[in-house]
Amino acid sequence: MSPRLSGQLAQLPLLSIWGSCPTVHGQVPIRTFGIRSLNPPKTSRFDVGPGLPILKSSPTAALERKANTLPLRTGAIATKKGMTGLYDAESGKRIACTVLQLDRLEVISHKTVQKHGYFAVQMGAGWRRPANLTKSLLGHFSANGVSPKRHVCEFRVKDETGLLPVGQAVNANWFEVGQYVDARSNSKGKGFAGVMKRHGFGGQDRSHGVSLTHRSLGSAGPSQGGGSRVYPGKKMAGNMGNEQNTVQNLKILQVDQENGIIVVNGSISGPKGCVVRIQDALKKPWPEVAATSKST
Amino acid sequence: MANSSSILQQLGCVRSLFTTTTSRSTTLQTPMVGRRMLSTVYSAKPDPIPFPKGLPDQFYSQIPKRMRPDLAPKKLKIVPPPPAPQCKDAVAAVTQAQLKTLDPSGKRMRLFDYRRYARSVKPGDIIRVTFKNGDPFAGLVLSIKLRGADTSVLLRNQLTRVGVEMSVKVFSPNVESVEIVQRSEKRKRRARLYYMRQPRHDMGSVENLVTNYLRQKRALAGKKDRGNKKR
Repeated sequence: MSPRLSGQLAQLPLLSIWGSCPTVHGQVPIRTFGIRSLNPPKTSRFDVGPGLPILKSSPTAALERKANTLPLRTGAIATKKGMTGLYDAESGKRIACTVLQLDRLEVISHKTVQKHGYFAVQMGAGWRRPANLTKSLLGHFSANGVSPKRHVCEFRVKDETGLLPVGQAVNANWFEVGQYVDARSNSKGKGFAGVMKRHGFGGQDRSHGVSLTHRSLGSAGPSQGGGSRVYPGKKMAGNMGNEQNTVQNLKILQVDQENGIIVVNGSISGPKGCVVRIQDALKKPWPEVAATSKST
Repeated sequence: MANSSSILQQLGCVRSLFTTTTSRSTTLQTPMVGRRMLSTVYSAKPDPIPFPKGLPDQFYSQIPKRMRPDLAPKKLKIVPPPPAPQCKDAVAAVTQAQLKTLDPSGKRMRLFDYRRYARSVKPGDIIRVTFKNGDPFAGLVLSIKLRGADTSVLLRNQLTRVGVEMSVKVFSPNVESVEIVQRSEKRKRRARLYYMRQPRHDMGSVENLVTNYLRQKRALAGKKDRGNKKR
């Protein structure tokens, strides 16, 4: 029987019309279809036998491995608005901080281990005109009963207790003052940059016979002894910036639920107006909040 | 060439018109059907044949997919967006909230916002700043950076004949008071007086001016409790 057809399907009387071979003991011969390998994979004789460890390449094993490094609850999509300073009440010290704002942040859908192999909450922020969206995305939004969103991204969570109900709005008070978050965003794009700017190379001499190559790299690799080739990953000139960067362990200084403002200690990569994803910090104890506590 | 050939094609049409009329008109006056004309009569696109009503479902598979009534695209229900946050300028909102606690009376702001208030500190003035922790610092104002709660002044002085500059965050809770020791005689034509760092423009130490000012202040305070410029 074909592996594609389940046993129940094979017993359907309808399928008997396909049968070209004569029936044997009431069994319905099934047409085999699909592409099949001429050389089906065979298990190595060294891979069978008792006492061998179970392979850790399954989704369940991956979830087990990641149990300690996955946040319990979802994060938020914010916009970087700019930087300013706050003064510490006790010491009077100035603290540089970044101002983030949440804009109509809602849960769009879930990813579950049964269906997708992992747990995640898909969040959307902002609003986009339906005419400017693809039909597939629009269908996704309307199927989940959420307004069309400008930014959509997933936040992985440890298990199903972290899955917020679909359509629930997440506001600034999702985060507590004093807790720590990780912020990831794309850094400012620098365009095509030379090696001195991109990798901090020293460049070459201003004089002593150097001509026209003051800011370039020297040699790209060894000669015949080293294989007469440029090794993969050689640092060269190229596009710099506009890469995702995560800043870990940023303290939340202020939360303004009314305006959706979150003030975070320190700086975050990217220009003003860029999209920042913030989630509970991995390297700090999880905040003392229920994973799906109501926020609003 | 293409142009002339297309003209010729049309002329050929005209010729056929002539030949047929001359030959036919002599014999019979029958109307011509299907004659090629220069212009064709507009005819509306025929309506599609309506779908037979009550078509059994088993015939649906024979109809092209785009015409099948059971496969017609469903209308998407688009949910209206929730209300957007009211605050347009989030940084300004945070700054305003800061200033409310740091400078509730707005005096400090009036003392430094030189673009709005005439009696404020201006570049070229000499001011004396006292701190909650640490020594007071006096100096010539080289620049005032107006940045809301981050507003700062750059002061320059000489201590032990070495030029010293200090940037003071004006709204810092550490700044206890700011006094104007001396106003500049003429309005400076620049907002940033960085040329005062050059030896030929350097003012040197302002220590004498400050001690004079403090002595006068003490004397006035002793006589009658007036003339205190402390803010």
